[in-house]
Amino acid sequence: MSALKSYDERSIWWRVAADFLHSRIAVGGLVLLAVVVLAALLAPWITPQNPYDLMQLDVLDARLPPGSHSSEGGYTYWLGTDGQGRDLYSAIVYGLRISLTVGVGSALIAAVVGTLVGLVAAYAGGKVDALLMRLVDLLLSFPTILMALMILAYVGKGVGNVMLTLVLLEWAYYARTARGQALVEARREYVDAARGQGIPRWRIVTGHILPNCLPPLLVIGALQIARAITLEATLSFLGLGVPITEPSLGLLISNGYQYLLSNEYWISFFPGVALLAAIVAINLVGDQLRDVLNPRLQK
Amino acid sequence: MSAVPVQDLEVPTLEVRNLQTRFHTRAGVLPVVDGVSFTLGRGKVLGLVGESGSGKSVTGFSIMGLVDAPGRVEGGQVLFQGGELTQLPATERRELRGNRIAMIFQDPMATLNPVLRVDTQMIEAVKAHQRVSTEAARRHARDTLGRMGISSPEERLRAYPHQLSGGMRQRVAIAIAMLHEPDLIIADEPTTALDVTIQAQILSEVQKLVRETGTSLIWISHDLSVVASLADEIAVMYAGRIVEHGTVADVLDHPQHPYTRGLIDSLPSANARGARLRQIQGMTPSLLDMPAGCAFAPRCPHADAACEQRPGVSRPRHDAPWHEVRCFHPQRGQLAPALPDLPAALPATARVPAQEQEVPLIDLRQVAQRFGATPPLGAVGCTLRSIGLSKPPVVTHAVDGVDLSVRPGEVVGLVGESGCGKSTLGRIAAGLLTPTEGEVVVGGKPVASLSAEEQLAARLRIQMVFQDPYASLNPRLRVSRIVGEAALLHGLTDAAGQDDYVCAQLRRAGLDPALRHRYPHQFSGGQRQRIGIARALAVQPSMLVCDEAVAALDVSIQAQILNLFMDLRDQLGLAYLFISHDLGVIEHLCDRVVVMYLGRVVESAPVAELFARPAHPYTQALLAEIPSIDARRTTFSAIRGEIPSPIAPPSGCHFHPRCPQAMPRCRTEVPQLRGIAIRHATACHLYETN
Repeated sequence: MSALKSYDERSIWWRVAADFLHSRIAVGGLVLLAVVVLAALLAPWITPQNPYDLMQLDVLDARLPPGSHSSEGGYTYWLGTDGQGRDLYSAIVYGLRISLTVGVGSALIAAVVGTLVGLVAAYAGGKVDALLMRLVDLLLSFPTILMALMILAYVGKGVGNVMLTLVLLEWAYYARTARGQALVEARREYVDAARGQGIPRWRIVTGHILPNCLPPLLVIGALQIARAITLEATLSFLGLGVPITEPSLGLLISNGYQYLLSNEYWISFFPGVALLAAIVAINLVGDQLRDVLNPRLQK
Repeated sequence: MSAVPVQDLEVPTLEVRNLQTRFHTRAGVLPVVDGVSFTLGRGKVLGLVGESGSGKSVTGFSIMGLVDAPGRVEGGQVLFQGGELTQLPATERRELRGNRIAMIFQDPMATLNPVLRVDTQMIEAVKAHQRVSTEAARRHARDTLGRMGISSPEERLRAYPHQLSGGMRQRVAIAIAMLHEPDLIIADEPTTALDVTIQAQILSEVQKLVRETGTSLIWISHDLSVVASLADEIAVMYAGRIVEHGTVADVLDHPQHPYTRGLIDSLPSANARGARLRQIQGMTPSLLDMPAGCAFAPRCPHADAACEQRPGVSRPRHDAPWHEVRCFHPQRGQLAPALPDLPAALPATARVPAQEQEVPLIDLRQVAQRFGATPPLGAVGCTLRSIGLSKPPVVTHAVDGVDLSVRPGEVVGLVGESGCGKSTLGRIAAGLLTPTEGEVVVGGKPVASLSAEEQLAARLRIQMVFQDPYASLNPRLRVSRIVGEAALLHGLTDAAGQDDYVCAQLRRAGLDPALRHRYPHQFSGGQRQRIGIARALAVQPSMLVCDEAVAALDVSIQAQILNLFMDLRDQLGLAYLFISHDLGVIEHLCDRVVVMYLGRVVESAPVAELFARPAHPYTQALLAEIPSIDARRTTFSAIRGEIPSPIAPPSGCHFHPRCPQAMPRCRTEVPQLRGIAIRHATACHLYETN
C-alpha cells in the first residue's frame, strides 16, 4: 500500500527489525538468547572455577547440594556440584559454550554447504539436480539419531567429529530449501530482465537470485541451530558426543542421570534448565524471524 | 444528498451518508474512505470510478460490512431500503448479505472454493437463505446459470472451478450473487482481469439482468469506458472522497472537477492519434500525508489559496442541479497545461514509408514456439506410456509460424486476447526464448549464426519493458545497481563514470536521480515502470519490446508513461514492439498493428488502415467491443463463445467456431496471410479472390 510510505522508506532489514520487536514474546526470547550467548562468551570471567582444569576440582566436594560451601571455604556452590566435585554453575556455563559452538558452527557450515548444493542443483538442472536431490531425500528419510550414531561410530568421539556429523545430517535441509527457492526466484521477471541485459548466468544466480533466497534460509538456520544443540546433547547423553573431560550440557545431564533416584536431582536438573532456556530462546527468535520474513517474501 | 433526481418518492435502495472508514496501521491512521455520501435508486447502476488507493473498493466493503481489521467503519450511516446497517448486529447483517445485498469480486478464482464443485457451492448459497430441498436448490442454481447466458448449465454445475475458463468462472460468481435476486449488487472490478470479448459478453448479460430484475448495482472500476457503457450515474473518487457525481452524460460531457477532466483528457482516445497525451502531473498523495484542504490541489493547475480549505459539495450547473462536485473552481477550460512545443506529432502514417528500404532491426521468419507438457519420465514413464497408462506428450503451439519485422524507428503494435501467443512472441523478439522453429534475424544476420559476442550485442540492441512493475525489479537491489549493472559489465561505462551514467538514464526516464540509492519497494507503480525503462535504456538499445507495459498502471500514470515512450521514440529514434490488449493504447502509439489469434497472425496493417477498414472478422469483433466513453449505454453485441484452449485449437482457421461469417472450408483449410491492400494483409478465406 502506497500509504505506508514512511514505514516503507527504510531498508528491508530495518523493517524486519521493527516487525520483529513488535512481539513481546519474541523480544523475551531475544533477551534470553542474549543472556545465554553472553554467559557462554564471558565464561572464564563469570565463573569461580574452570571445570576443565582437573587441578581445581576436589573430589571431597562431590555431589554437594546447591548452596554448599567448598571444603577449602573459597566459594559457594550455588547450584551444587557433580560427581567429580565440579561446580555445576561453572560447568553449565562452560557447557553452554561447547553446546553453542557445536550448534552454531555446524548450522553455519551446513548452511553454506547446503545452499551451495541447492543453488548448483537449481542452476544445473537435469541429471545433476536429480542426483543431488535424491541424495537429499535419502539423508532426510533416515532417522537422524540412527544416522548420527552410525557416523560417530565410524569417525569417533570429539567436538570436531560431532560437528562434522551434524553438518552431514543438516546440509540437506538447506539444500532442499535453497533449491526450491532458487527455482521460484528464477521464474520471476527480474531474472528475465537480467538475462535480457546479457548478465552472465553465474552472476544472476549469485548476485540476483541468492539474495532473494536468504530469508527462508535464515529462518531454517535459526531453527537448525536449536536442532543441532539438541542433537549434540542427545549424542553426548548417549555417550557418543564430546569427551568426558569437556562436558557439554548433554553430557552433564547424562552424568547426573544416575543420581536422580538418590534425590541428587541438581546434577541433571540445572544443566537441563540451561539447555531448555537456550533452545527455547533460539526457537522463539527463529519462529518470529519466520513470521516476519515470510509474508514479505510473498509480496 | 442526491445526485440524480429521484422522481418518485419511494425509499431509495441505498443511501450512504458521510461514510468514514479508517485503517489503523502502525504507520498511522489512514482515512481510506473520508465522508462518502450518495443515494442509489431502485434499478439504478452507479459506476464508482477511481484510481488505485482512491478508496472505491473499501467503500464497497464498508457498505457490505466486510471491512477487516485494521480497518473500521467509524462514522456515517448506510441506509439500505431505509434501514440503518452499520449499527445492525452481525447475525442480521449476515442474513442480508448474499440474500438482499450481494458482492462480486475481481478474482473469481478467489471467491469460488477450488475443492468444491460448482453445484455444491451454489446449492449451499441457496440453502443459506431459503428453506428448500437440495433438488429444488439445484434446479434454481441451474436456472440462474442459464439466465447468465451459460450454455449447458448442467455440465457447468458438475465442474470444479479450475475446469472453467476465467470468463466462465466470473459468470458463475455473478450467478451466485444473483441467486436470491438481491436488491443491491456491489461489483468490484469484475471484468478487469478478462479479455475484451469476454468482458463485453459479461457486461451485456449483467445489463440484461439488471434491467429485468430491478436490482440496483454499484459497479466499481478504474475504467471510465466500462462504466460509461453500463451505468446511469458516475461517482468519481479521489483520495477517499467522491469529488464528482452525476449522470453519465453529466460527468463525461460536462466534467466539473479538474481531476475528472484530467482523467478523460488522458485517455488515448481523447487525444489526436500519435500526439502527446494530456496528462495529470504527479501522483495520488499518500493517505498518511494528505493535504489539509482539497486532496487534488497539489496536482491541480487551477489550485490557489482557496484550495487550502476543504471544499464542500457544490452544484454549479443550473441545467443539471443534481450534478455535484467538490471543488472551489469547477469547470475551467482545459485542464492540461499547454503542451511543450515538441515536433508537432508527425502523423504516424507519414513517418513509416520512408523507412521501407531499411534493413529491419529484427525480422522473425516463420517462428514457432512449442511447449511440450510431458517431462522426461525415464524408463518408468515410457513403459506406462507404451501400455497406454500415461498420456502422450501434449504439445502446445504458443506461436505457430509467425513472420514479423520491425524497422528502425517503427512502432509495431501486437494485439490479441490471452493465450494468443503475443507475450511468447515478444519474448522471442527480446531473445529470452529461442524459438523451436524458424529464424530470428537481427540487423540482417540470423542470430543462430552469430558468435557469442555478436549474440550478446544483438540481445542488448533489443530490450524488454515488462508488464509487472513489481516483479520485474529485483527487490534486494538498489536502483543504482539495477540500472547500472549491465552497462558496467558490458563496458558502456566504467566504475568511475557509473554513477553519472545511472543518473543520466534515470533523468531520461523522468526520475529524480537523487532517488537512485533507494530500493524498488520505495517507489510507486509508475516510478517503478520508469526504473524498468531506465534499465532498458542503460544498455543503449535500438528497440524496446513493451509487454503490456502500461496495463498495470492507473489511467493518469499510464498517460505519463505513454508520453515517455513517445518522447524516447522522438529523441532516440527507438523502435518499439508494443504488446497490448488495449486497442486504445495501440491505436494511439503505433504505426503498424499486427493482430494475433491462437498463435497465428490474422491481420497486419498500418494503424489508420486497420482501424478504418478492419478486414478479418476477428479484428472487426475486437474493434467493435472496445468499451469507450463515447459508447454510452451500448447494448453489447458480443461475439460468441470462449477463446479456445491453445492446447487443442480448432481445425482449419482457428477462429471459425466464433466467426459470424464462417464457411465450410474454414473448418478444414488454414487460411494464408495474403495482401489485400498496400501493406495490409489478412489471413481469411473471405479475401481470397480465386
